[in-house]
This record gives sequence, structure tokens and C-alpha cells, in this order.
Amino acid sequence: MHLTALAVATAASSLAFATQYLTVEQAQHVMFPDATAFKDANLQLSTDQMRQIEKLSGLPARSVSWRVFAAYRGDLALGHVVLDDVIGKFELISYAVAINPDASVKQIEILAYRESHGFEIKSPAWRRQFAGKTAQAGLAIGEGIANISGATLSCAHVTDGVRRIAAIAQTVLKQ
Amino acid sequence: MNWRAQPWLGTLVEITIADALGDAELVSCFNDAFSVVADVHRLMSFHDPASDVSRINCAAIGEWVEIDAHTCEVIRSALSMAGATGGIFDVTCAPKLVEWGYLPMPAGDLPEHVPGRSALILQDGYRMKKTGAAWIDLGGIAKGYAVDLAVAALQRSGVRSACVNAGGDLRAFGNIAYPVAIRHPVYPNAAALRTQLREEALATSGTYFSRKRIDDRECSALINGADSQPITAGFSASVRAPTCMLADALTRVVMASADARHPVLEQFGAAAFIM
Repeated sequence: MHLTALAVATAASSLAFATQYLTVEQAQHVMFPDATAFKDANLQLSTDQMRQIEKLSGLPARSVSWRVFAAYRGDLALGHVVLDDVIGKFELISYAVAINPDASVKQIEILAYRESHGFEIKSPAWRRQFAGKTAQAGLAIGEGIANISGATLSCAHVTDGVRRIAAIAQTVLKQ
Repeated sequence: MNWRAQPWLGTLVEITIADALGDAELVSCFNDAFSVVADVHRLMSFHDPASDVSRINCAAIGEWVEIDAHTCEVIRSALSMAGATGGIFDVTCAPKLVEWGYLPMPAGDLPEHVPGRSALILQDGYRMKKTGAAWIDLGGIAKGYAVDLAVAALQRSGVRSACVNAGGDLRAFGNIAYPVAIRHPVYPNAAALRTQLREEALATSGTYFSRKRIDDRECSALINGADSQPITAGFSASVRAPTCMLADALTRVVMASADARHPVLEQFGAAAFIM
């Protein structure tokens, strides 16, 4: 094993890392494999609901509008899929949370992970190109994607996001 | 190639399966692999009061604590690594990480970390006890172990080639070379190096995400157990090893010693490089 032979030094690449794991539609089917239909069930939270969510999660409710799908097998409600994006130091993560009918979290799937240079992540224009179109974002699956090895990047903002969505589920989606 | 990622162990865990499988079969292979990673998360989380790690941390000195076979295996490996590295790798550094704000404060008084002291005794039948006040954190080894378990789960499911990456600690198996980009230690959102991984594990450590100043003192989430001091080097250390648990743990030794040819590497069939 000659590491130096593999360690072909290159100049720092200017390409940022990006991977799309699942489209929204794929995530729906991965998380609710028995579902026969997914219906739009977008949420508009009231002030009271937002207050309740903040109380339950200990986090700012952040947004009034949430993209949600209800999963059905025939007429039977199986649960919901809630979509969200979180922004870290230089990464934007889109993810989906599957919620059971009792409002517990069933599964979490990362849809897309995109890194950029620090100045871009804060830029609304850079973020806007991804907002609300996870499934259509121009990231080709399977093209030139490399695993990244490095110091561990915390995903505390995803964990917080899931906690917020769990509180939304308790408040609004519980059946 | 098929990709999936889920948040576990405080980071993103990414699995790439190369086999051309049907949708249902793929979902089942991914679910099996993520489920063993979830087990490690549940057992070894420092944050979760119900985890084995928290129960050990809360236990009184001398009290026997029943732990899962996986936790037992990781602690056994950690103790052996501590012996082999002269105490550089030490899972009882947790009080320092709590003091510097990298880990939340558990219940109880902050114990002092004593370099070189072995405060843990493992017994057959998956029991352990502490011989002195100590808190453990398996952060420097559990991710690697989870990757190894996920690899074993994929192999049991009949997958011929896959790569598992837990926040930068990877292992690949099968007849495919997986491209891997290693972060630049100064510009971590760019690749300093591109390499390939095949039938092997690779872990990288660095302080570029965790370095911070506390009271005029530079701290990081990496601690040299031999002297209780934070490692604040600006370089990163990558280790290739037969298993990801070994690669993960051995990065600490290379970071602390700044020696990519540290003798302990050869002992574990590993090799390292520093950038």
C-alpha cells in the first residue's frame, strides 16, 4: 500500500461538493413503500400553532409554510412526508421526514447535500436556485460524485430541523 | 450506483451500493445497513440519557453496568488502542469535551481526566464498571465501528460492492474502486486530494471544523489523552486500514504525534498521510 503513489497532489479544486440522493418522489416511495397515492397537504401555520411548536421544540418555528404530502393506501391514511432545507456554515441540506399517523417520526432521508464557498451559502440567489425544487435541481445522479473524507461535519442543524418537524406533527398532523 | 443518506451519529451517513438491484431489494439492503448504524447511535450516543454510554457515565464508581455486545466490543477495542498508543487514544477524555462545550453536560459532577489512568474494567457477559470517576465518549471510534457493521450488513444482504461513509470515515468493499475526495485542511469545502478506495477503510481527522478559542486558549474536539491537551494542529491526518474502526481511532494518534509513520500504524496494518 503506497499512499504517496495515490496521493497525487492537486491544487485545491474550486468545485464544491454536491450530491442528490433521492428526488421527492423517490423519497415518498422509500419511506412509505405501501402507499398508492401521495396528496399535497401543504401547511400554513397559524400564530397559535407556531407558538405551540416553539414551546414543544424549544426552537423558533421559522416558517409559516411547509411542504407536506399525505400518504395513502387506498383510503387508508399512512402518514405524512414533510420537506425541509437547512443551512449550515457552507452547506445546504434538503431532507424529508416521514411522520406516522400518531405523529411520531418514522424515517428521515437526506434528499440533497450541497456545499459551496462561504460567500455563496449566505447569498439568497444561490439558495433560491434550489428552493422548493429539490426534485428538479440540476444535479445529475451518478455523475462524478465522490465520497468526501474529512473531519466530521456536525449535522446538528438537521437534528434541530427534525425536532421542529416532530413538533409540527404533534401540533398539526396528529390523527 | 445507488445513493442514500441519513443523519446518524451526529453527522450524515452515506451509503453507495454499486450492484444493479431492483427497487424493493435496494430499499431492503439500505434499510438493513442503516438499521445497524441506528443501533450504534442508540447505544453509544453521549447525548441520549438512555444510551449505554450515558448509563456508564451516570454509574457510581464500582457499580456494574450491563451493556450491549456492540458497546462492549467498541470499549474493548478502545482499551486496546489506549494501551497500544501510550494513552494518546483515550475515551475517558469526555470531561474536557464537556468543559470546552463540545458535548452537553451530563448529570453529576465533572470528573477530572487523568492521563494514563485506566478507569474502566470490562467483564465477560457484557458488564463493565468504573474504578474511578470518569466519563466516556466513544466519538473517536464508534463512527468507524458503525461503518464496519453497515458493511457487514450489506455483505449479509448479498451486496457485492458498496461504500459506507459516516461523516468522512469510509469503508468500501467489492471489486470497485470508489472515488474519494479528501477535504483541504485550510479550505475544507474544497478537495485537496482525490483518491480511490477499494476493499479498505479510510478515515480523516482534522481540527478545521472544531477549532475555537476559549479564554485565549485554542481548543478543539480532538484531545491527546496522554497529556489531556487539545490538538490544534492545522493539518489533517488520513489513515487507511483494514477496518474503519481502526482507521477512525488511529487518526487521533497521527494528529497527536504529527507522525504519519507512527509505529503503531504498522502494528494494525494501517498507513497514514498528513496534509
